[in-house]
Amino acid sequence: MNNKEKPVPHNEPERLAALKRYNILDTLPEHAFDDATKLVSYICGVPIAHISFIDENRQWFKSEIGIGVSEVPREISFCQYTIMDTKLVEIPDTFLNEQFRNDPNVVDGFKIRFYAGIPLTTPDGYNIGTICAIDHTTKELNDNQRNALSIIAKHVINQLELRTKNIELDTQKKIAELAVLAKDSFLANMSHEIRTPLNAVIGFTDLLAQTKLDKLQRDYIDSVQIAGENLLLIINDILDLSKIESGNLAIEAQPFNLKKTLKHVYDLLKVKASPAVEFNLFLDADMPEMVIGDHGRLNQILVNLTGNALKFTEEGEVTISVKKIDETADYYSLRFSVKDTGIGIPEDKLKTIFDRFTQAEESTTRRFGGTGLGLNIVKQLIEMQNSQIHVKSKENRGSEFFFQINYKKANPVESETESIADDDLGKLKILLCEDNIINQKLAKSVILNFGFELDIAENGEKGIDLLLQNEYDLVLMDLQMPFKDGYQTTEYIRNEMNSNIPIIAMTAHSLVGEQERCFKIGMDAYVPKPFKQQLLLETIKTVINKDNKAQPKRKIDLSYLDDLSCGNPNFKQEMIALFIEKIPNEAIQLEEAIQNIDHDKVKKLSHNMKSSIDLFMLDDLSHCLSVIEQEAKSGQFTETSNKITVLQYGIADVIKILKEL
Amino acid sequence: MKIILSEDNEILRKSLSFFLESKGFTVDQFSDGKDALDAIRTNEYDLILTDINIPGISGMEITQYVRQSIGSDIPIIIFTSSGIEQTELDSFDIGANEFIAKPVSPAVLLVRINKLLNIRV
Repeated sequence: MNNKEKPVPHNEPERLAALKRYNILDTLPEHAFDDATKLVSYICGVPIAHISFIDENRQWFKSEIGIGVSEVPREISFCQYTIMDTKLVEIPDTFLNEQFRNDPNVVDGFKIRFYAGIPLTTPDGYNIGTICAIDHTTKELNDNQRNALSIIAKHVINQLELRTKNIELDTQKKIAELAVLAKDSFLANMSHEIRTPLNAVIGFTDLLAQTKLDKLQRDYIDSVQIAGENLLLIINDILDLSKIESGNLAIEAQPFNLKKTLKHVYDLLKVKASPAVEFNLFLDADMPEMVIGDHGRLNQILVNLTGNALKFTEEGEVTISVKKIDETADYYSLRFSVKDTGIGIPEDKLKTIFDRFTQAEESTTRRFGGTGLGLNIVKQLIEMQNSQIHVKSKENRGSEFFFQINYKKANPVESETESIADDDLGKLKILLCEDNIINQKLAKSVILNFGFELDIAENGEKGIDLLLQNEYDLVLMDLQMPFKDGYQTTEYIRNEMNSNIPIIAMTAHSLVGEQERCFKIGMDAYVPKPFKQQLLLETIKTVINKDNKAQPKRKIDLSYLDDLSCGNPNFKQEMIALFIEKIPNEAIQLEEAIQNIDHDKVKKLSHNMKSSIDLFMLDDLSHCLSVIEQEAKSGQFTETSNKITVLQYGIADVIKILKEL
Repeated sequence: MKIILSEDNEILRKSLSFFLESKGFTVDQFSDGKDALDAIRTNEYDLILTDINIPGISGMEITQYVRQSIGSDIPIIIFTSSGIEQTELDSFDIGANEFIAKPVSPAVLLVRINKLLNIRV
């Protein structure tokens, strides 16, 4: 038998390819296969059973009982013969079999006396492995056992097919998920890209509408304005949705005036109510004025729901009502409702109206317009605020949409600064940092219209140059610019120039954390683009007035002093008083010494002052002193004149704050 | 335990003294190196805490004098805002036991002082 030709199936390459397709070789044991092996052992009453696969040079056991190895060389395996066949190979007594009598597996090794093996045949006809029953004594299977073996063989192949299909499905699923992601980001980018030129269209139309026009021209412009604003609404819907989908939409927690917000929604939509509709706003007497939450999103939700109500109500009433349901030490629980007497929603549509691109009536889209995204956005916005939207409706009787939101109570201190004084701001000098030429032009017209002066810098660096040359009252800062973006520029203005000039961020994308980031690096306010003239003006008023009230931007960290004073307030106060008494004088002496180019004195003074400045953890000022000291040591003042100015301003600022403590 | 502190910045000197006194030490404070050295010569101290750059004579010179002329092994902690590595090396070279860069963390200062004093006791 040793010199016998090794049996190789005629379709060996294809057979091996078929085996590879299943990716089964060298995988870990699996229950499904082990169960099948056990079944073979039980049914045939044998101590040895296995499921194996045969590749180029080995027989690998996917599952085995009584063998104890994971693979054997192909040339010593019995099964290399079995896969040459199409049906069960049964050898009741190997001693009586010419071919196997002297096989090493028979005389020693596994001491095989009985062998029954059936090929594992793929659906396309390749024998990739075997399923076997083996015993140390002679045996003969009955027909039921033979039949069972071939059934199990089929099951094993099915199992393999299933595995492969599952892997394919998994891959397809991943591809599909990627495609959804790509779609979302495409939508977000596209709508962002569309908004920029649309911004210009709406803005210039606004300006055009303020010029002298004849009646026909006025009519045309009105139409352009309405169309532009509708288009913007749709784009905003899509952008919002893609932001929600990608988890990029944040719910703000800022103090806001609830009554004002509701009044705003009411005033905004009053014009859309048809004359036969009574449009009401009912506010609970117990309703709080100020709460902490997302005012913009509440606005969006109510405008959407109320807009729908007005759209679908030709006569009767539309009512927005707000009621306080509950109050804890920290929270108000408020119920918002928008109720109408309009066409209503059929019962079978109530469940689907919150789905995307769905409207109650197929024909609704035609008759009433809209993207079919509004309610879906509303639902998601409410869910993001840990609540749920509910709807009650009867066809031809009307609908009510309601939800309950918990708002944190606002501290009186946190309340927004009320009453933007309507006084004249005078001729403000404004610097705009913006790279887009159309946006520059638009902002320029708007600002000039307000009666302010405007200089334009096409990037952050130019902006800083202008700030160094001229006095400005305010900076309008685009966030995305070449060379130095809005963030970097602001950081420079605040930290290097140590300037408190009010900075308003202008951006088209309102993403998660963006607003926060703006405030964190020291901007004063935030206006989304495309900006509304009114909003921009109000924001300018707010920051200018805030500035007049002289809220210093700097925060002084007294923790080091706290550590040293071991919590003794008197001592701490004493040190602060000493600082206030000494530091301004020392700064003046330092400036004099610098003017007299007295390197030695500058070195000593700056070194000494640094210890005091460090105690109050004024890192930026400490840095100035280090530079001055260093330059004094080297006997060469270059940066020093700059730094002493920054230092003087900084100290004045700090003293002011410390005096107010 | 009695500590002598020489530091010319008044706010820092007072703060450090207050801190150490709160922690139970007795502190004699000086803004001038010469005065500090005179005090060291006439009084018994458990530990010397000194800035390098002080008027009169420097913290380095005080250390050198204590080690070489007086021949005392009293623990000496030098602190300075000079971020130069050589300063630290020099401080140890002339016999300081500890070197702390400014701004001095009160907690770290306390730990080092205690460590030096415990070793001595």
